[in-house]
Amino acid sequence: MTQQKLGLLFMAPVAAFLLIGFVSPILIVGWYSLMEPRSFDLNTVFTIANYRSAFSDGYGPPFFWSLSFAAVTTLTCLVLAWPTAKLLHRFAGRGAAVITALIAVPIFISESVRLFGMSLFLMPGGGILAGSMRALFDLSIGSVLNTKLAVYLGLVYVHFPFVLFPALLGVALIPQDRIDAARDLGASRWQVLREVELPLALPGLVIGALLTFVLCIGANAEAAILGGQTVTVLTRAVEQRFSYAQDWPMGAALTMLVIAMTAVFVFPALSRLDLNRLIRR
Amino acid sequence: MTRTAEPAQRQTALSLIGLSRHFGTFKALDSISLEIEEGEFFTIVGPSGSGKTTMLRILAGLDQPTQGSLLLRGTDITRMPANQRPTAMVFQSLALFDHRSVGENVEFALKMRGMPKPERREQAFELLDLVHLGRDYYNRAVTQCSGGERQRVALARALASDPEILFFDEPLSALDYRLRKTLEVELRELQRRTGRTFVYITHSLEEAMVMSDRIGIMREGKLVQIGTPAEIYGQPKDRFVARFMGEVNIFEVSDHRLVDFEASVSTVKDGFLIVRPEMLHPVDAEDPGLHFEATIAEVFRLGSRVQLHLETVAGLLVSEQPASCQLKPNDAVRFGFDPDQTHSVPE
Repeated sequence: MTQQKLGLLFMAPVAAFLLIGFVSPILIVGWYSLMEPRSFDLNTVFTIANYRSAFSDGYGPPFFWSLSFAAVTTLTCLVLAWPTAKLLHRFAGRGAAVITALIAVPIFISESVRLFGMSLFLMPGGGILAGSMRALFDLSIGSVLNTKLAVYLGLVYVHFPFVLFPALLGVALIPQDRIDAARDLGASRWQVLREVELPLALPGLVIGALLTFVLCIGANAEAAILGGQTVTVLTRAVEQRFSYAQDWPMGAALTMLVIAMTAVFVFPALSRLDLNRLIRR
Repeated sequence: MTRTAEPAQRQTALSLIGLSRHFGTFKALDSISLEIEEGEFFTIVGPSGSGKTTMLRILAGLDQPTQGSLLLRGTDITRMPANQRPTAMVFQSLALFDHRSVGENVEFALKMRGMPKPERREQAFELLDLVHLGRDYYNRAVTQCSGGERQRVALARALASDPEILFFDEPLSALDYRLRKTLEVELRELQRRTGRTFVYITHSLEEAMVMSDRIGIMREGKLVQIGTPAEIYGQPKDRFVARFMGEVNIFEVSDHRLVDFEASVSTVKDGFLIVRPEMLHPVDAEDPGLHFEATIAEVFRLGSRVQLHLETVAGLLVSEQPASCQLKPNDAVRFGFDPDQTHSVPE
């Protein structure tokens, strides 16, 4: 058997899996999105009515909030992850593993459980934070629970590790001698960061940012558990179309828009990434 | 008005006063004092782990001394951060910015100072010409350059900041022999032409001999000897320096007697005679001086010279003769040297 045939053979299981589990659902959802509103058949009478109403019937806010939350969360996580990654890298082998574990372990706990925990923490009156403040310092504080701020805090809390670990990988890509060389050539600390460290760590940062951004666009639990009814995010809007409204074609059209939007962010970023360089280290 | 003529004296560029660097209990640098003169090519030679790199990093401001101070033309710069020092370094790894083009690497220091792009570019062109790369290299990726080209990029990048002193941390060690020779000559020429102070570190004696005005020999964090290449080769301070500066035969002297031979030395009471291979010759039995029976163990042809390994009562000795020498292995010959003409060291 030739090399090429053997390669195709090895590829077949994965290809079949992707075709059945990934491509065909997208095709079906795409097909549904072109059907009459509120219909349940797949036929050949196509319409773009669903897409038209996606842009005209008040779906703007869910898109706006999901995108805004995703952008702000990604930015916050990047800003927090950079110094953390630098410190963890510097103290690698000297207690950094303990901190890393403390950050990593919560990932193994269900996201909803963690968010309910956070909700308990933030609850007004008898919540852990407010209750402790009253008991210990006789201080009465309000609560951010059921506000957009709580959603934002929840998103950052849940997604921080997804930026931190790729960022750590990115920081490991910066050889110390490049920093020394830049300093020696007159660069201030800020210039070293901008000219040498960030560009060299970019692959890790891009991966972390993409993961977080994409996950945040699809995030629902934070808004549901911490945000109360204050904000409807994209996933919630899609879910409502499919379940409560029984309007599959509309839900499908919204889904296709989310996929398209995600692709717009992901593909340009991924194409600039040299994955080989990351793996070789 | 009359003016007193001052004696022509070289200014001190860099003064190291009792510089020490301790890592825990380990003394990487142990109270180094040294004055490097303006326009001098000063080379620090030593085996790996002798503290050369630590010293250079402190001079460049990339590390802080535990004790002592560092003066640049009389101004204390011990605590001055690296980015404010008017010095530049060529790193052993070269530390080129692979994510930038050759041109951007060269003009890095200028960009840090906020020089506008067109001016930077013009200077980068000049520097690329100076290091014999040419301006065609400006837009090339660093990763596409060969070892020698990368070397020149690193040099141009360091020169761009117009440093008062240039530091070199074994930059040629990764290159092949011929390229190294070429670059040694070019570096020396560049140093002469620009009149800048170069501080160079290497573990290669040959490199140090070819390029330097003065050499400092380092061992276990201390400067053992400082002098011109000729001084260090001809009058080493101890056996360590003698051995470090190439092949050498060492004979112990105790109370005016050579321990290995039944012979006396008038000039030395106790110590060691340093006999370079070229001072050991085949001789006739009637010749004055010291001689002894030797059997040729091995013959190495080194182009212009022949290196002979001799088996003698004093063990294996090394002699170097002109290429015309016809001695073969197993030949029995008398070899000798003049003990009174030989340099000696106390330890």
